[in-house]
Amino acid sequence: MHIAEGFLPPAHAVAWGVASAPFVVHGVRSLTREVREHPESTLLLGASGAFTFVLSALKLPSVTGSCSHPTGTGLGAILFRPPIMAVLGTITLLFQALLLAHGGLTTLGANVFSMAIVGPWAGYAVYKLLRRSNAPLMVAVFFGAFVADLSTYCVTSVQLALAFPDPGSGFLGALGKFGSIFAVTQIPLAVSEGLLTVLVMRLLVQSSKGELTRLGVLVARKQARTGTGTETEVAAR
Amino acid sequence: MLPIDAAAHSSRWRRRHPVDKAVLGLGLTVLAISLPPWPGAALVLLTALVVLLGPAGVPGRRLWRAYRVPLGFCVTGALTLLVQVGGPEGFVSLAPDGRVRAGELLLRTSAASLGVLLFAFTTPMSDLLPRLVRAGVPAAVVDVALVTYRMSFLLLDSMRCIREAQAARLGHTGRAAEWRSLAGLGATAFVRAFDRAGRLQAGLAGRGYDGTLRVLVPEARVSVRFTAASCALLAALAVLTLVLERPLT
Repeated sequence: MHIAEGFLPPAHAVAWGVASAPFVVHGVRSLTREVREHPESTLLLGASGAFTFVLSALKLPSVTGSCSHPTGTGLGAILFRPPIMAVLGTITLLFQALLLAHGGLTTLGANVFSMAIVGPWAGYAVYKLLRRSNAPLMVAVFFGAFVADLSTYCVTSVQLALAFPDPGSGFLGALGKFGSIFAVTQIPLAVSEGLLTVLVMRLLVQSSKGELTRLGVLVARKQARTGTGTETEVAAR
Repeated sequence: MLPIDAAAHSSRWRRRHPVDKAVLGLGLTVLAISLPPWPGAALVLLTALVVLLGPAGVPGRRLWRAYRVPLGFCVTGALTLLVQVGGPEGFVSLAPDGRVRAGELLLRTSAASLGVLLFAFTTPMSDLLPRLVRAGVPAAVVDVALVTYRMSFLLLDSMRCIREAQAARLGHTGRAAEWRSLAGLGATAFVRAFDRAGRLQAGLAGRGYDGTLRVLVPEARVSVRFTAASCALLAALAVLTLVLERPLT
């Protein structure tokens, strides 16, 4: 769910743009440095952006029986790291605004803040925390994706509550209203996204160890010579 | 190709410079959110609709299909303004000026969305992205965006084919099968994206790739007449709003 074009008052739209700017600029610097050092990264990063864009087009069956789209922020942050996700997320949101009429240009700053900054950072923090506490990879992936999805919608509710405070109870009342529509209803969808991310990651671990190692999700631990040939053991970082 | 982009490629204003269309489309959006919703946003909405269906030649059905997406969000969001939480009339009651606020919000978002749609329906991404370098966006980011844009269509096409193949193999018959198919789809998208990037890199390396993607951009010049007419229209809308605001409020 993206905040639609013109939904936020001009002052709020500008403020969220200013809040997002440092994270996006930091991401752009990391991306430019990466591309300067490894020119071939342009194509890999472009492929990652396309994957993020396409991921958000998947139809996700919710545990309540309804249907929605995954945000892809959790999986994106685990695979590509939050600074790069800030840039890829901004590009994806721009494409969604102009190619699908999802979101908007005046609300791009607010949508970037929730979907390309807070979602990926929150999801990645939970993922790393669980991995450092020796939680199994798939448990960390599930909670990373769950938190990334839910935090995105919680931030969106906060953004809307700040823009439209309740006439009776102010910000808190508005947060309750927008939260009950956009965040609480998102809990089953966040569970669904967590489950889907686990299933995708399981398949990726089986089929794309090379790419996951290159991205730093898995690390080569040791090379062991077996009876059938050389085998590289990989472990989740 | 996605419907909006496909329409942009066959638009009457396809050959116009993106700046011309940005001044008009995004100017209307800025007016919609900065002028008073009544009558300002209403006038902007009407003007955008006339320009879209008239001179820009956007088919009505295509416009409605794209327009209903943001409209759904706006209606859901506006509904919350109809009620208030707390206060003397109970925990949840009708907000005193809820209908006015919800109506104003709907007017503002509808008008602003049409402004952006005017730009999107007449400007293909392939015309816009390479020109962003001149607007100060780092070349590396523009290159990544270009690859993302071009690869998205190939991936979406692959996903459509895989989905059809999964359906033909009874991959969507039960809940468990649907989840399995969906996970397969996500993982295949990743594998295909990276495989394609690898092959693209090998192909480019053989052609002396130095890190810059050079693409041909259709030549177009900023039309002073078009831009001046757009600015005049925007100014007229602003003046008309200020003149009509008092009598109509």
